[in-house]
Amino acid sequence: MTTAIAINHVSMEYKTPKATTHVLENVSYEVQDGHFVSIVGPSGVGKTTLIRLLTGLAKPTAGEILIRGKRIEDAPEGLAVVLQDYTRSLMPWLTVEKNIALPLRNQPLNKAERKQRITESLVEVGLEGSESKYPWQLSGGMQQRVSIARALAVRPNLLVMDEPFASVDAQTRFDLEDLVLKVRDDFGITTLMVTHDIDEAVYLSDEIVVLYGKPAAVRDIVKIDIPFPRSQMTTRNDHRFADLRTHVYGMVRGLE
Amino acid sequence: MTSLLNSRIIRFLVGIWLPLLLIWWWWTASADSVDPFFPPLSAIWEQFKFNWIWQLFPVHVVPSLRNLFVGYSIGIIAGVVFGALLGSSRRVSRYFEPLIDFFRSIPPVATVPVFILLFGLDANMRIAAVAVAATFPTLLSTMQGFRGTDSTLLDTGNVFRLTKFQMMWKLRIPSASPLIWSGFQVSLQIAFVVTIASEILGSGFGIGAFTVMSSDSFMILDAWTGVLLMGLIGFALNVIFDIIEKRSLHWYFGQKKLTR
Repeated sequence: MTTAIAINHVSMEYKTPKATTHVLENVSYEVQDGHFVSIVGPSGVGKTTLIRLLTGLAKPTAGEILIRGKRIEDAPEGLAVVLQDYTRSLMPWLTVEKNIALPLRNQPLNKAERKQRITESLVEVGLEGSESKYPWQLSGGMQQRVSIARALAVRPNLLVMDEPFASVDAQTRFDLEDLVLKVRDDFGITTLMVTHDIDEAVYLSDEIVVLYGKPAAVRDIVKIDIPFPRSQMTTRNDHRFADLRTHVYGMVRGLE
Repeated sequence: MTSLLNSRIIRFLVGIWLPLLLIWWWWTASADSVDPFFPPLSAIWEQFKFNWIWQLFPVHVVPSLRNLFVGYSIGIIAGVVFGALLGSSRRVSRYFEPLIDFFRSIPPVATVPVFILLFGLDANMRIAAVAVAATFPTLLSTMQGFRGTDSTLLDTGNVFRLTKFQMMWKLRIPSASPLIWSGFQVSLQIAFVVTIASEILGSGFGIGAFTVMSSDSFMILDAWTGVLLMGLIGFALNVIFDIIEKRSLHWYFGQKKLTR
């Protein structure tokens, strides 16, 4: 198992004229290649901060993050992101097709290959035929699917998702979770997902990282040994699922 | 289909009833007028047709419109360029903002004599005055548009490693375009006012020049036709602008309609 991401003793603080906020303190963790890892923790603990550090949007005040052994400076190569607010992440002046094509332009593909990728990605997320629609003409769940399609189209080495399903209704959430499982099956991309939904984290992940504390550190790493394939109907009924869920919940709430 | 047609017709009627009513009132109220300064609308209309369809059209309307469009184009391009620069960097804008606030507060019409001093009375003076006046509304709107670029959008672009060129042309500018277009609209209105003003204080050809010269020579009927023409052209410019804007921002208006 190779290490896809190495987070080494990362600390992050925000300085304001009045005070310094220590958000993350000495966070260390290694993400293995092809794994699906969820990051959970109480609200405001610093999950999004960690994501920003991973995607190169911010620099840690201490420590380093290595992706495939290389220290990241700005946005690392081969990274794709799916954010919570799809209305502000997809470009409303572009059609679905053009939205997906935009990051693809920087890859060495000709026009036909690009079109092929776009079609494949849309088929993968179940939105075949919506190329010429505008994002705002689609429902919330569909827009997030477009977001996922855009992330898939670049064939990333690493997929980062920041509370991707927090803005859709519960039933759509189940559909999208299963979509993520399917994508995992088909592509095997190393994925890091931040979520508030502990059930979701247990359902989808190989491993869960619990962030906790002020400043936050890695409280625990929980291996999810529920076998794949998982399903909404059976897995959530599983004893192991319930035990793991309770365990993680307890840590997030500081009860254990 | 019929309901759509009906709603369009109804909206048109709603918009047009008041102007029609006022025109009718003016026509009937002035019909027997012997006041030399307020001739009957029917006489004004006759003179209007005689002057502007199409005898004096190339003499006055074409130069005015040409100066307007050249000045306006220069102004809005400058406005977008500088607005983009200032809106992209807080630091840069801090240096220039007091200067801009100072210059944009000067009523553009009042700057025309300064342009006369600099350029004389020819077409270049008019174009320069219009260009400078048209720059500021667009500059300010563009600056605002760039400042307000959504951070989630910027993050998305950065994570997907869009080039600097792509970030500017494929992200920031389209994102700011609704505000940029509103700047274009105000710039157009100011450009029109300054075009006329530059002709009033200068001399020679142009709708404003014609109107003032007629008025000074007590050719009141001609002066009235000039005023009427200015109103009609101003209105037509706005209609054309609306059509072009709606085309260009179809995604924005479509989105607004669906997401309430």
